[in-house]
Formats: sequence, C-alpha cells, structure tokens
Amino acid sequence: MRYVVGYTDTDEGRDALALAVRLARTTGARLDLVLVLESAERATLVPADPGYERYLRETTEGWLATGLAHVPAGIEATTHVVYAESPADGLLEAVETLRAELIVIGTSPTGLLGRFTLGSDANALLHSAPVPVALAPGGCAAAGGAPISRVTCAIGTRPGADELLAAAIGATRRGDVPLRLVSLVALDQPGGAPASATGTAHPDAATRAEAHAAAVLEEAVAHLPATITVTSQVATGRRIEDAVAALDWWPDEIALVGSSRLAQPKRLFLGSTAAKMLRELPVPLMVVPRDAEFTLGDL
Amino acid sequence: MPETTPPGDVANPPTAATAALSKKGLGAGTVGLLGAIVIGISCIAPAYTLTGALGPTVAVVGTHVPAIFLVGFIPMLLVAFGYRELNSRMPDSGTSFTWATRAFGPWIGWLAGWGLIAATIVVLSNLAGIAVDFFYLMLSQIFQNPSIADLTSNPFVNVVTCLAFMLGATLISYRDMQTTQKLQYVLVGFQLLVMVFFGVVAFIHVGAGDAFDATAISLDWFNPFAVGSFSAFAAGLSLSIFIFWGWDVTLTMSEETKGSTKTPGRAATLTVVIIVVLYLFLSVALISYSGVGEGEYGLGNSDIQGNVFFSLAGPILGPLAILVSIAVLSSSAASLQSTFVSPARTLLAMGHYGALSPKFATVHPKFFTPGYATIVSSVVASVFYTVMRFVSEDVLWDTITTLGMLICFYYGLTAFACVWYFRKQWFASARNAFFQFAAPLVGGLILAVLFVTTLIESANPDYGSGSNIGGVGLVFILGVVIILLGIVIMVVQSRVRPEFFRGRILAAGVAGDANETAAALPE
Repeated sequence: MRYVVGYTDTDEGRDALALAVRLARTTGARLDLVLVLESAERATLVPADPGYERYLRETTEGWLATGLAHVPAGIEATTHVVYAESPADGLLEAVETLRAELIVIGTSPTGLLGRFTLGSDANALLHSAPVPVALAPGGCAAAGGAPISRVTCAIGTRPGADELLAAAIGATRRGDVPLRLVSLVALDQPGGAPASATGTAHPDAATRAEAHAAAVLEEAVAHLPATITVTSQVATGRRIEDAVAALDWWPDEIALVGSSRLAQPKRLFLGSTAAKMLRELPVPLMVVPRDAEFTLGDL
Repeated sequence: MPETTPPGDVANPPTAATAALSKKGLGAGTVGLLGAIVIGISCIAPAYTLTGALGPTVAVVGTHVPAIFLVGFIPMLLVAFGYRELNSRMPDSGTSFTWATRAFGPWIGWLAGWGLIAATIVVLSNLAGIAVDFFYLMLSQIFQNPSIADLTSNPFVNVVTCLAFMLGATLISYRDMQTTQKLQYVLVGFQLLVMVFFGVVAFIHVGAGDAFDATAISLDWFNPFAVGSFSAFAAGLSLSIFIFWGWDVTLTMSEETKGSTKTPGRAATLTVVIIVVLYLFLSVALISYSGVGEGEYGLGNSDIQGNVFFSLAGPILGPLAILVSIAVLSSSAASLQSTFVSPARTLLAMGHYGALSPKFATVHPKFFTPGYATIVSSVVASVFYTVMRFVSEDVLWDTITTLGMLICFYYGLTAFACVWYFRKQWFASARNAFFQFAAPLVGGLILAVLFVTTLIESANPDYGSGSNIGGVGLVFILGVVIILLGIVIMVVQSRVRPEFFRGRILAAGVAGDANETAAALPE
C-alpha cells in the first residue's frame, strides 16, 4: 500500500508529511513524497532555460531529501520530482503510476474562515481524485507523530455512503483502532428538517437519523472483528457546523467524509456538508470519492 | 527505512513505477517551429522596440535608418553565434556572468554579469515607461478626451502608474503566471498585423498627398556608407543593436525545439527575416510620411522622438489609432514578462556561485521562481525609473541610448569570453574557426568600438536628447555611474565573499577542462 504525499518546502508540505507519517504508522503504508514542478511543456513566453530547470530540479530534490529526513525509521519512503501542468495533475498522475491508495496534502494554515482553507490546487484535486484525499490542517507538523487513535466517519444516506463506509471499515481494520459512526443533522436545513416558526426542529429528522445510524452500525459491526469497538452517534445542531462542533474529538483521530453530495457534474467535489465540516473540524479530514477506484476497503 | 531513488541508482534500482515518474525531465522537443518564432518575436517585441528606438536613430542618422537597421544586425548575429557556442557547452542560467568568469576569471565575469543585469534593469524601466504613455493614450482614445493622454507628462502621475505596472509585472514573474499558447499567438499575430496596417495606411496618406511631410523614398536610405560621420554611424549602430536584442534566444532554443535538428536555425532565420522586413517597411513608411524634419510630426522633432508611435498613431490612423496603443501595450507586457526573467536568473547564478549574497539563489517554495532576485530587480528598476523621470528631460530616449551602450558592453565581453574560452580548439575544424573564433571576435570588436565611441561621444551635452548635468551628457554620466557602481559593489563583495573572487568556486579555464562541468548549474 502506498500513499502519495504532496510535498513542498512550506508549512503545508510539512503538515502533509506529518499527517502521512501518522497514517503510515497506523496502516503500515509506504510513503511517496511527490513534488510537482510545472511542466516545461506548458506554453510560456519566456524561453526555457535548461540551466535554470536543472538548478530547480536539484533544489527541489534537496527539499525532498530534507523532508525524507523527517520520516522516522520504520516507515518506508521514497521521493519523486514530477513535471505536470498543475500540482493537482502531477499528484493524480503519481497516484496512477504508483497505484497509490491515498493522497495527503496540506491546507493553508492562514485561513481566515477557520482551520482549513482550500486553495485552488486542493480544490482541483478534490474535484477529480479517484482515491481518498487526506487534508492536513495547519499545525500538523508541530502536533507530534502519534498514530491515529480513532476513525470517525460522518455518514449519510446519499449515494456513495456504501463506499465511504467500506473505506472507514478498511481503515479501522487496518489500523486496529475504534470506529465512530456519526450522523450529522442540521435542523435548519431542508436536507435535515424544516424549522417550525418557533425554531424547534421537525421531530422526524432526528428519528430518521437514529434509525439510519443504527442500520449503519449494524453493518459495520458485521464487517469488523469483535476486538474493534464501533460506536454510533447522532449529532444535531442548527447548522452542520454546530453539529460538528458539538461532537467531542480525540486529539489523534481522523474524520472521514464522502463526496456523495457533490459529485454532480461541474460541481465542486467537496460539497456543502463536507465544506462546512472542514471549517469546524479540529482533526485531519479524509475525503472519500463516490466513485473511488480503490478505497481503503480494498485490503 | 527511508531511501532516495536517484535515477539509475545501482543500490536501489528504480522500480517500474519510480522510473516512470522520474523519466519526464525537461520538456525536450516541445516547442515547434511556430512556437519558437512566436517566442522570438515576443522577446524582441517589435512594436515596443520600434516606437522606442526609431526616434533616437533618426536623430543620429536621419533618413539612413533602414541602412543602419540592416547593418546593426551583423554584430548581433556574430555575437549570437558565440553565445550559442557557449550556451551549448555550458548551459547555465548565469549566461554572460558564468561564461566570462570561466574564460577570464571572477573579476571580469562579475562585471559581465553586472552589465547584463544593469542593461535588463534599464530596459525594464524603459518598457514600463512606454507602457505608461500608451496606457494614457489608449484611455484618451477610449473616452475621446485628448487631455487624458497628457497625464503621462505629469511626472507624479507617470511615476505612480509606472510603479503600478512594475508591481503587476513583478507579481506575474514572481508567481510565474503564464498566458496560454493560443493567447500568445493571437497577441503576436495582432502586433504584427497592426504594425503592417500602420505602415500601409502611412503609405496611403503619402500616395493621397495628405502626408505630414511626404518624403520620396530613395535608395540612399539603404546605403550605410552615406551616413555623414563615423560617430553618427556608431551611435546609430549601438541603437540598432537594441532592436535585435532578444533575437539570440531563438538561436539557443536547441534543446526545446521539436522536429528536426534544423528547427532552431529555421526559427531564428524566419524570426529575423520577419523582424527585419517589418522594421524596414515601417521605418520607410514613417519616414515617407513624416520626413525627418523638426515639425510637429516630423521624426526629427525631439519632443516626439522618445516614443514616435505615440505621436504618429493619431494623425495616421485617426480613430483606429487605438489599435497601435493596444499593440504596443501588449508587446510591452509580453516583453516585460520575458525580460524580467533574465536579471533574476543571472542574480540567482551569482548568488549560487558566491558572487553575491546566497539569498539571491533562493527559489520560491511554491512558485519555483527566483523570488528574491525578482523582487530586487523590480525594486532597482522602479527606483531607477523614478530617479530618471525627475532627472532627465527625456527619460525614454536617454534610457534607450544608455541601454545600447550597456548591451555593447556585456555582449562584447561575452563575445570575447567565447573566443578566449575556446582558444585551444579554434582551428580544430572549419566550423570552430568560424563560430568560436572569427564570428565572435569580429562581433566583439565591433561592439567594443561602439561602446567606446558611444561613451566618448555621449559626454557631449548635445548628445542624443540633450539631457545633461553640469554640461556633461546624461547618457555618459549614466553609463559611467552604472559601471563604476558595479566596480564598487564588486570590491565590497570581494571583501565579504572572498571565496568566489579567489576563483575557488568557479575557476577560469578553457573548453574541455576538468572544471567545465562546474559551470553548469548546479555544481
């Protein structure tokens, strides 16, 4: 099993690497640190300069070597400099060539809107990745390298929920960690339930969520060995953000969300619920595509 | 256990997957014939170049501009041959700096690098200055309000706008934003079409008898020997070196061009044919239309010589004059982008080899550009333009003349570096004898003569635009100050960073010696 790490000589790159190390510690995967340079094939008004290209290559290989030095012994890791039209393209090509099962990238630590902000590169990646994408929040690099302690999976009823559950089960089994299944209910939203004039929730929403959670829990338990604890929780709040904030989080856990809501043509891969979760999450987030070619469940 | 996989590492033979990832290196064979011509024309930026250089050239050689443009190509071609030899032997982003260091040692190498950086910084300020003129001209054309075009002569408005343009160009370079290939083709095609249209309409006015000062075309215009004096000839030549500056890149794009090995040569030839024909056509058209007198639209009028299209587009094209504004603006923008790269890369190489602070060698971790060097170049060019705008009576003219001189300086050094570097293999073959010895030697000598002549002549307060400080020509002062400043900084650097100046990092040598690979970045 291989994970592609989108590495750059920046805080985001170091965050991504730190998260990847923690994931690899949990699952035993090997890491491929990939640094994407702009392809010389792109159109440019500036004449290409082989001297500079070579200097750039050497410099970036130096950065990768520094990154590699931060990978603790016991985790297998390799570095690559690849050329592509865009960072997202480069990582996707690397995933395909290396048959990797996960991409780990950093997110800008200076986001004004919350913990995660997604740049255009991360968005492009989430839009088209055939494998799960793990997003490392800012400050990951400083947070220590403990293995993942629990997997929380935010699961709904939309298409793609099965793949997401499979991924969550796979990750849990592989890492031998507890699994928590979470149903998020936003009471204000048409998707949750229409709020009445007094602001109280439609009673059906919570009930339906409870029933769904119970069914999912049953399925997860059936696919996991008895040694792994599986819990289920319905989180409610006026908005999805409130529901997420209401949950308690372990310091070293990771959250899984699906892309099911968003995989309409020409829509952002990361839909409204996942995007809202991003804003509130205190832990790394892994986004699992609806039409994943491989998921963490393929073990 | 962590491991690295350098390609072909014996201890860690690359797996099929890693090999597939590492094999794509430089985009070898990605630029076709048309692409190479587009890059070449875009770097030369004929619309910008001609509006800047035509006036000053007419001022020194009158109607003999076509002759001077033709002759001016010869030293450029000869030096470009040497440039290509060095580039294929030591492909290094430091270009003139690295090559002159390898040939003549650290001191002369440092000065060659300084000359290149100074020349590109001077041209950056000129480019931005021309763009400011046309920006306000275009606004006045859009709003049909001639008073907007006069804003450019307000030094404060002018400087602020110029700094804004500089900032934009810096950001584009710093973040390495590139236009799509289609847009480049459109912009270059548009630029050429508008220039041809401009010339054709000028001729129509001449034919219709309503030209400003219709002047009959004479074969004499094409005769370089008819130029009155040697000093005028030299001054004209050093200006016409500038109009072909940038052409050499097409000759060196050997590794990137696809198709047969003849592609670079063909691209360079076609580029220069297009450019020369365009220059001759347009200069003949404008001289026929305006004459070289000192009347309102005469090319001899010193008020319009720093930027002739600016003044002539309106009378010739009427309401369509806005096309010229757009063509010159897009030409300047493209040229700003390609020009910004060269001082930054030379500074980067100088930082890398220890000739300047290692900060210059840093690469931006996200944009992969020489970020620090780019910002320093931009700040220096901005300060230079601001000072010049207030000191000089005719900033564009003076910067173009200074530029011609600086190009002669560093191109000349580069040509001699080629001759000296290959000294042990001059006569190994007829090819070497021509490309490594004869061509660069003659080219270098011509540039050296031009440099010295221009320097001496420019001390005269009446030289060029007539700008002077205390009775000494401004261009002379600029040239001397720039070179002396280079020497001062070099001496300071030699105290701070003695390693480079003792030749321990990049040693002088000859072609084929053991140190040759050290000159190809990275070490």
